[in-house]
Amino acid sequence: MNIEQKRKIEGFIALAFSSLAAFIGLFWLVFILGDVIIHGIGALNISLFLNDPAPAGVEGGGLRHAFVGQLMITLCATLIGVPVGVLGGTFLAEYAKRTRFAKIISVLSDIIVSVPSIVVGTFIYALLVRPLGHFSGWAGAVALSVIMIPVVLRTTEDMLSMVPWTLREAAFALGAPYYKVIIQVVYRGAATGILTGILLSIARVAGETAPLLFTSFNNNFFSWDMNRPIASLTATIFQYAMGPYESWHRQAWAAAFVITLFILALTILGRLVLKWRYKQ
Amino acid sequence: MTPAIELEVKNLNFYYNGDIHALRDISLPIYKNNVTALIGPSGCGKTTLLRCFNRMHDLYPNHLYEGEIIFEEKNILVRDVDLISLRSRIGMVFQKPTPFPMTIAENIAYGLKLKGIKNKSELIDRIERALKHAALWTEVRDKLNASAYELSGGQQQRLVIARALAVEPDIILFDEPTSALDPISTAKIEELLGNLKKEVTIIIVTHNMQQAARVANMTGFLYMGELIEYGATEKIFTNPDKKQTDDYITGRFG
Repeated sequence: MNIEQKRKIEGFIALAFSSLAAFIGLFWLVFILGDVIIHGIGALNISLFLNDPAPAGVEGGGLRHAFVGQLMITLCATLIGVPVGVLGGTFLAEYAKRTRFAKIISVLSDIIVSVPSIVVGTFIYALLVRPLGHFSGWAGAVALSVIMIPVVLRTTEDMLSMVPWTLREAAFALGAPYYKVIIQVVYRGAATGILTGILLSIARVAGETAPLLFTSFNNNFFSWDMNRPIASLTATIFQYAMGPYESWHRQAWAAAFVITLFILALTILGRLVLKWRYKQ
Repeated sequence: MTPAIELEVKNLNFYYNGDIHALRDISLPIYKNNVTALIGPSGCGKTTLLRCFNRMHDLYPNHLYEGEIIFEEKNILVRDVDLISLRSRIGMVFQKPTPFPMTIAENIAYGLKLKGIKNKSELIDRIERALKHAALWTEVRDKLNASAYELSGGQQQRLVIARALAVEPDIILFDEPTSALDPISTAKIEELLGNLKKEVTIIIVTHNMQQAARVANMTGFLYMGELIEYGATEKIFTNPDKKQTDDYITGRFG
């Protein structure tokens, strides 16, 4: 066998292995998504969104309480996490640029991004649930925002660093103070990138269950009260999927379908925003 | 008659990164309503000198000015100078066009708003005047609300010049303003510089000696952080006093 044939065979083997690996990964992804879609679409109905749960074991009812609770928790988490993340990222990229402190915070943020979310849940449990003596929607929102902050912070930092320095110098040269340079010029240049990071971070936390089990817990009744345990889709899916009733299982599938769709929509929107930026 | 002095550099030394001695004992007058060119090989300190005039070095740590730059009878190198008002009096145009990520009109309005001009009709008026001034008006009058990034490189550079002009500065500093542009855009900007000197004093750093010869009244030649020779452009290019200047302009080095 000459050397060219050998190379061809090696190339073929490499291609075969990597294709196989990609196929294995994709297979499970398609399988899971397909399963959620098949079971979910069939179980979808308008009552799911309009009604609160029927008594256990009784047919009918819906998950309005969980949709509302999920939206409340996610919204509050976003309201806490986005300002902290964006301002923190601004500090690192602008004011603390090239300092050891900024590097340490960046690295720590990257580590926190990969910390198991249940650890965040127990942390908030110790901080906000135990001392107050009860689970609450706020604790859930804070737990999710803790997961969001490092994502938003790092994206903001990266996006701001991508804005060329000459642009800042040009604004300084017109007599702008630094905070105006940041708000009026740098943020504008980085806006779509930061927005994408925010959308992706919302998508990231919207599907979390573990940190909510220790914080907002769950609630079988409709509630707006963020000071009390509040329902969330993810915790409800967990509860219903484990439950003994066929009607619960169907609703869990429907809820899983809706939340998957929501996250998919956010992710696609995030990517569209990014694409739109590069077209400019 | 000698024209009035706009800016006077006296025994200027400049250090950055703690101990790099970038400018050595530089003294020169900059005349009002003149175009003054600073030429010299790469690393000679011409851009460093230019950036002293609007204290751009202050954005970075570990710099030190020694000596004086007198502007309106005050030394602008002292610590308590208000950099915001200094920079609105002494504008700057950079090597690469630096339009802000905004519309064409907003770009011009930016400096005006910094100055506290909020009146809408005055803003519109001054945007138009600045664009006409920078010979860009006829090209952009129909798309003032388009993104500044839609313009060509040469148009962007004239937009940036218009933005600098809009705040009505006394001096505009140009840091190799045409080195990123094609010959036609370059010619337009050179023509513009000639017209602008009626109203503003211009200091331009350029790599291109022909450009200095075409646009400048006065030329300073820098080498290794020192001002080797400074005088009327014609004299510098035809009959310089120093051998180093002669060697540089005849292309023997740099």
